[in-house]
Amino acid sequence: MSQPVTLTVNGKTSDVSCGATTTLLTVLRDTLALTGSKRGCNQGVCGACTVLVDGAPMRSCLTLAANIEGQNITTIEGLPEGGDLKPIQQAIIDSDAVQCGFCTSGMILTAHEFLQRNSNPSIDEIRTALSGNICRCSGYRKIVDAVALAASRGGA
Amino acid sequence: MLTSMTKTDFQKPKTVEEAVTLLKEAGDDARPISGGATLVALMNARLVQPSRLVSLSAIDELTQCTYQSDGSVRIGAMRRHRQTAFESNLKAAHQVVSGAASQIANPPVRNMGTIGGSISFADPAADYPPSLVAANAEIEIAGPEGRRRIPAEEFFLGWYETALEPGEIVTAVILPPVSESSVGQYEKLCRIAGDFALASVAVTIDFNASNTVTSLRLAVGGCGGGPIRVEAAEQALIGTKLELDAVVDAAELVVAELDPIDDVRGSAEYRLKVVPRLLQRAFNNLVETREPAQ
Repeated sequence: MSQPVTLTVNGKTSDVSCGATTTLLTVLRDTLALTGSKRGCNQGVCGACTVLVDGAPMRSCLTLAANIEGQNITTIEGLPEGGDLKPIQQAIIDSDAVQCGFCTSGMILTAHEFLQRNSNPSIDEIRTALSGNICRCSGYRKIVDAVALAASRGGA
Repeated sequence: MLTSMTKTDFQKPKTVEEAVTLLKEAGDDARPISGGATLVALMNARLVQPSRLVSLSAIDELTQCTYQSDGSVRIGAMRRHRQTAFESNLKAAHQVVSGAASQIANPPVRNMGTIGGSISFADPAADYPPSLVAANAEIEIAGPEGRRRIPAEEFFLGWYETALEPGEIVTAVILPPVSESSVGQYEKLCRIAGDFALASVAVTIDFNASNTVTSLRLAVGGCGGGPIRVEAAEQALIGTKLELDAVVDAAELVVAELDPIDDVRGSAEYRLKVVPRLLQRAFNNLVETREPAQ
């Protein structure tokens, strides 16, 4: 069974038809074809599915689409403004912080929100902020460097 | 993905009373949903297939945290862990609760999970249960018969089991008034950042003007089916100044009451060795909080 749900994703509002138990992640990937959000553990542990809901990082795999009508969802596809990468995105590129890329979108969205709250973080604070995002290539060093680089450039 | 065979119906009531009625109508397979951090994970693992989901997110009353005129604090069930971690209404001994909230899982999960959802699931290794027992909190529950309040100690019954009857939901956690001289501390040991506790310790203490302990509550998490309060150790510490000898003796009384198991996080034996050290750490940090500079 399905019911219409009105979702606002990356500034665009659409009506999607989904079941009561359908997660936001499934709607993003399978209905809206926004595959930048990844399905890793489907248990909220790995962080690969992280999106921003009203600006706060949340797990799209644990979020029911029907439960977030009226809230603003930002995925990695919607992060650049007018085609310009955000400072954290550019810093990830400049730091060679992408290995397989599976964790990258979740890392970027989490770091972006963190840098908006803390523009001059210590390395420990960066590591704590990213503690809910797992990189199975274990390429943490360069990801942390990238967040520090974005901060040093004064951006989020 | 993972299309369920059974139909699930989704409701988003505006009041607690409507929510309770909707749950009652649908029977045992209905589930309230707050942040989703636990329930949706269980649904994704196909451990739960609710016939009806009753979302609590449109009920204003549940999203408030209020400081009451008598000095108590009422934390609505829908308050997210992140809100409770930074809650300005929580001072003195109440910080045992904000301290626990700040150590739950990781930042994105703390944006989602709620205090009502967490305690209703009652994972024995979760952070709120021992902290609420140490804080002498009461749990407010709404059901078809109306509302009732019970002490946190009577709410947690054992492994994932609470005093909630079918059709009941947690509506708030109420923390009693505390004196300004009181302090609260939550200490947790986990294998990696974001994990549930291998073991945890929650304490609230009040002192007189000469730094002698006048009241103390102590509870341990992750070492049995629910939070374990050890009154013998509390009594042993009241009247002391938390001298090392007194703490070591009290830790022995605590360990005697624990009933840990071997699991993926650690052995029972290891937990029994860790708890006295967590207690010592809690007391050390508390003393530092009280006397920041000598």
